[in-house]
Amino acid sequence: MLLRASGRTYDKTYDLAAVTGTPESDGGVPHGRLLVAFAEAVLGDDDAALARTRDALTMALGPPGLVDAAGVVGLFNAIDRVADATGIPLEPEKEAASADFRAALDLDRFAVVDRS
Amino acid sequence: MTGPYASAPYAIRDDLAAAHARAWSRIARPGTWWDGTARVAIAAEARNAPSCTLCRRRKEALTPLSIEGTHDSLDRLPEIVVEVVHRVRTDPGRLGERWYRDVIASGLTEEQYVEIVSVAAHTVAIDTMARGLGIDVLPLPDPKPGSPTHYRPEAAKPGGAWVPWVEPADAGEVEAGIYPSDRLPANIMKAMSLVPAEVRSFFDLVTHQYLPGEVMRDFSREYRAISHAQIELLAARVSALNRCLY
Repeated sequence: MLLRASGRTYDKTYDLAAVTGTPESDGGVPHGRLLVAFAEAVLGDDDAALARTRDALTMALGPPGLVDAAGVVGLFNAIDRVADATGIPLEPEKEAASADFRAALDLDRFAVVDRS
Repeated sequence: MTGPYASAPYAIRDDLAAAHARAWSRIARPGTWWDGTARVAIAAEARNAPSCTLCRRRKEALTPLSIEGTHDSLDRLPEIVVEVVHRVRTDPGRLGERWYRDVIASGLTEEQYVEIVSVAAHTVAIDTMARGLGIDVLPLPDPKPGSPTHYRPEAAKPGGAWVPWVEPADAGEVEAGIYPSDRLPANIMKAMSLVPAEVRSFFDLVTHQYLPGEVMRDFSREYRAISHAQIELLAARVSALNRCLY
């Protein structure tokens, strides 16, 4: 939702399908394809792919960009666990604001309330 | 460069390195419901979980709990604690309320559970960043002696989550400052409020590894070497990979 809010501020429309992994596109975000590939590699098991993506990201964004990208991936890998392990719901305002793209991207299948 | 990343091949922001050092120091000390030895053992078990055969078989199964067995653990924690740490570490997107209720019925208190989740999450945040950078994980700290405080907020009550939480209006003196004063807290902030010290500790990491709360929606300038849009794309992709709707 903050990705969409960021786009509105700069009058840009980001392709939110990038969130579900669209390898052909940056989704309108500079180096978006590379960032998505980096997130996938960090959470994946292919160390060689991670090394290649890390090098490419460093070339594109510089070492400070790599450090901040790695930090964000790490932090959200943790936040997701807190959210899922405590069973928190989406806030009503976020639920309403994200209904369209959750439906379009079929993200509601991840809803914690539906898990037994 | 000084601190925990003094020998890293990349310059890591001083504030971020310091936040990691503080997190490690807090994990080593007695917490609210677990002592320092147990907290460091929880962190170690979070590191060990990805190599667990039972967790790997469950991850591959259509229904994780249809696979029975014993976790490959470090034998430093009760089995129910190992179960929580391993599931949270290896398959969080399929945790369900029934599993949570079973865990509590097995003898863990809700407060102990929240602190386990928090320590595991701290470890995941720091270790995942190290993997992204291709550097060794930080050595775990040596436990410090002392006893847990056993503080439970009087105002904690069932809310919208599986675990009880503290509503902002009910926060007492000890909980002061865990929530922003200028806006309603997101549910992710309330999630661990049953153990207020863990909210403070985890959001110290959030502030430095992501963004401070007050600038998350300040799109008028950038605060990191990557833009808000780049940060949010990464965050959203990670959450999708983890099958986390939140």
